[in-house]
Amino acid sequence: MSPHFRAFTFVDRILSVEGDGGVTVRGAYAIPDKVERFPHLLAAEATGQLAAWVAMAKLDFRLRPVAGIAARVDLLTPPRPGQTLELAADIETLDDSAVAYHGVAMADGAPVVRLHHAVGPMVPMTDYDDPEAVRTHYQVLRGPGAEPVAFAGVPLIQARPVGGQPGVSRLAIIEVPDEAPFFLDHFPRRPVFPGTLLVQANLEVTLGLAAELPPPRSGGAWTPRAILDSKLRAFIGPGERVEVETVVEECDGQTARFRVTARRGRKPIGSGTLLLAGKEEA
Amino acid sequence: MAASRWNDNMSNNVSITKEEVMAVFPKVAEIVADALGCDVSEVKPESSLINDLGAESIDFLDIVFRLERAFKVKIPRGKIVEEARGSLSEAEFEKGGVVTEAGLERLRAFLNEVPAERLKGPLNVADIPKLFTTETFCKMVIRQQRAAAGAGAA
Repeated sequence: MSPHFRAFTFVDRILSVEGDGGVTVRGAYAIPDKVERFPHLLAAEATGQLAAWVAMAKLDFRLRPVAGIAARVDLLTPPRPGQTLELAADIETLDDSAVAYHGVAMADGAPVVRLHHAVGPMVPMTDYDDPEAVRTHYQVLRGPGAEPVAFAGVPLIQARPVGGQPGVSRLAIIEVPDEAPFFLDHFPRRPVFPGTLLVQANLEVTLGLAAELPPPRSGGAWTPRAILDSKLRAFIGPGERVEVETVVEECDGQTARFRVTARRGRKPIGSGTLLLAGKEEA
Repeated sequence: MAASRWNDNMSNNVSITKEEVMAVFPKVAEIVADALGCDVSEVKPESSLINDLGAESIDFLDIVFRLERAFKVKIPRGKIVEEARGSLSEAEFEKGGVVTEAGLERLRAFLNEVPAERLKGPLNVADIPKLFTTETFCKMVIRQQRAAAGAGAA
């Protein structure tokens, strides 16, 4: 079965598209119950994809947005395999240069992620996918919906620690696989390592560094709460090597901030701030 | 673009005072510094965002959206070259991707905050964004604030 619209597509149905200037979109995605894990960031990806589908339709599939900037992503109730994500996105502005939106993914009445001030720059559709195939799938999403439970999970892309100063910084290497099912869907004409998976790997590196800090005052482990000022500057292709550095910016015993930079060679290709916290104090 | 609208843009641009620029500059500089991950002390009014501060196209998008949120204005994207060109046709403004002498004259008048030594030929059209300084963005904000005020008064 073709991985197109399956291996890295997280919208099953687009339920409503309302408005002309500012557009409000609602959709859904059923997380397959057989996948091992479904991290928060894939729910954020789903929300972004919902906005992207409608943006592409409004631009007659000439252009498609790619991941760019997010001022803030709140990581709330963890999603679980078997849940259905209820997706909502509000498109603030849309033109040939970019789509700006905010959105939320809910599951069983609880918010999973909130995206604030996200921007997706536009690229020519034909460089990445077949415009008519994308148009046809959009019509499926607006109509009967895509076949659910098509997603088989993504491989955990782990970064290998190579240096740093305990409790202060950590340097790690991500070896992007040469092949993976998600490349065939993201994107068929130009395989690009999903920015979401880069951010997920950055998060894992940061959790490793956080484990070297004193535990939070409220007990338990340091838990990701938000990603701030996330920016992706360049595409990463199959087989590439990315260096990730995470540095403790601030730690007050209950909240810790980490500055993360991803580089390819000497060139920064992504950055952001990760906010971790202990469990909420009574 | 009609000559009258270009003249309006030009008079809007020329009449922006240094005081007006410096009134918005601190906030604009903070936004540029946050977007580019540099120290705000490095951001000067005459700093070229690309050549001096290392900005890329994604950063321009980031800065414009942050300015819109901070100043509650709408900044037209991709229009600055069109505005600078004014009543000149595309053929009069550039030939083979290189800005003509007439085009350079228009750029010097419209981007009057850009040091003269940077605005000389041969200049590729694709390199025009390299001319943009922090003050260029201050003026974008001021023009849109004026446009919004004018629309509100109408």
